[in-house]
Amino acid sequence: MIELTNLDKAFGRRLAVANLSLAVPRGEIFGLLGHNGAGKSTAIGMMLGQVWPSRGEVRVGGFDVLTQRTKALQKVGAIFETPVFYDYLSGWRNLEIFSHYTCPVSRQRLAEVVEWVGLTGREHSRVKTYSHGMRTRLALAQALLPNPELLILDEPSDGLDPGGIHEMRQTILRLHRELGLTILLSSHLLNEVEQLCTRICVLHQGHKVYEGTLAEATQTRNCVRLQTGDFPAAVRMLEASGLITGSRDGKYVILAEGTGTDRVVKQLVAENLPVFEIAREDRTLESFYLNLMQQHGGKTPPTLPPAN
Amino acid sequence: MFLYQLRNELWKLFGKKRTYVGFVIFLLAQTLILLLFRFAVGPTRQMTRLLELNGFEPKEYISSLTVATFMLFPIAYLLLPLFVALVGGDLVAKEAEDGTLRMILSRPVTRLRLLAVKWLAGAIFAFFLSLALGLTGLASAACCFPWGHLFVTNPGEPFAVFDAAAGLRCFFAAHLMLSVKAVSIMGLAFMFSCFNVKPATATILAVALIFVSSILQNIPFFSDFTPWFLTYHLDVWRQLLAAPVSWWKVGQSLSLLAGFNLSFFVIGSTAFYVRDIKS
Repeated sequence: MIELTNLDKAFGRRLAVANLSLAVPRGEIFGLLGHNGAGKSTAIGMMLGQVWPSRGEVRVGGFDVLTQRTKALQKVGAIFETPVFYDYLSGWRNLEIFSHYTCPVSRQRLAEVVEWVGLTGREHSRVKTYSHGMRTRLALAQALLPNPELLILDEPSDGLDPGGIHEMRQTILRLHRELGLTILLSSHLLNEVEQLCTRICVLHQGHKVYEGTLAEATQTRNCVRLQTGDFPAAVRMLEASGLITGSRDGKYVILAEGTGTDRVVKQLVAENLPVFEIAREDRTLESFYLNLMQQHGGKTPPTLPPAN
Repeated sequence: MFLYQLRNELWKLFGKKRTYVGFVIFLLAQTLILLLFRFAVGPTRQMTRLLELNGFEPKEYISSLTVATFMLFPIAYLLLPLFVALVGGDLVAKEAEDGTLRMILSRPVTRLRLLAVKWLAGAIFAFFLSLALGLTGLASAACCFPWGHLFVTNPGEPFAVFDAAAGLRCFFAAHLMLSVKAVSIMGLAFMFSCFNVKPATATILAVALIFVSSILQNIPFFSDFTPWFLTYHLDVWRQLLAAPVSWWKVGQSLSLLAGFNLSFFVIGSTAFYVRDIKS
């Protein structure tokens, strides 16, 4: 659905996006992660033809955004971090204005979308009387009006309260399930991404540092948490017997290929080392992300929310 | 689609309170000038003397039409450029500043199409503002002065007199040409608005350029270069209040203004086309 090939974008001498290649398959909920200034919004801007790439190719829905922008964006809806509207006009009028930049929309279709996002009864009120949550719903309505196949969401939960974040998450899942939309989600909320996305891409200072499935990112196939009376001694013993290949953080051991936890426990007990706990543990997206940032010399974001 | 989009632009434009500031200020300025003309002795006495010296009957010529035309000059020179520049400067830059431009440009609309629609909406506003200026001027003058012939003291030109019917025609023809001036200044501000600047900057740049051109045009040293100044051609509306009308000058100014407007649009749209639209 989206294909970026060797994309560069420089603002003056600063390279905001460097050699980015990315593929968002049809039907996926794809997460775009990165610190502030990592290049996420610039990449989205290039997908929408708002930012001109310095080099490379952007294709959306099979069309080149640079040369066939109108065709490429025909079935695309987008929401940006802070929903902005013409506050002095009604929600209904705003929807008419935005939708007419794509195609004429019938009153019936407008009413359907208004109902779908739960704004019925308030659609003729001025937008300046709307709460942040209602503005977000209106933003969603305008994104859904052209009957999109691809939805680009740039920080859609920004500024929402926990109830609003939950509602947005449910809405994204509903859009994916009921309408079969391909969704590109750029977010700082790692737990949101973890609950929604099937594939992710992590950007760091304009470079792609990871692209793959969420399962691959969080799965640590051979890593087990081991709680024993003497962890260093246990590691030495297990390494000597070839059951593990290494350890980390003073509590995890990496099992050798083909080794099960039962053999580890048996060995430790045989050597009179008490085993209090042994468990396979998947990483959270947060720990994966922070680890990735550390590997690439990045600072951790100061307001990173905890993962569930 | 184009008409839908134009209608939407007009909704946006006429839905804003600040769009009406110009109309309100014009009305206030006209009322003030009218009161001065009605109750201060100076302007009426001067006009009476000039008419008598030239053998005209002051009672026939100091009319609502004459007063409405008299009111037109200060407003057309000082207030009109300011308000059309205010709207022209807002058209693109305000949307970029507010973030709605990014929402629009996530749609499959070309930048050129978007600018064309916006420019046309601005031109419609400028036309209606000029028309409103004439109508309110004539209506308010009619409240205090009787209907009669038209006497025009065109600054820097010989005075002109018209009978009531011809005067009314000239009055509205001058307003039609005034709308060309309004559209051109709006187009100038619109051009600046297409660059990555604040709306106020676009307005100030346009107004400053108009004032600088006007000042230079009026410096005697530059008298030989007068036809080179934009403001000289923006004053084409004054030609319609002269007797006889110099139609070749009108044609010359109109064709040059068409060229100026096209240039403003091309420069603005080129700047807008190469711009990155970011939050």
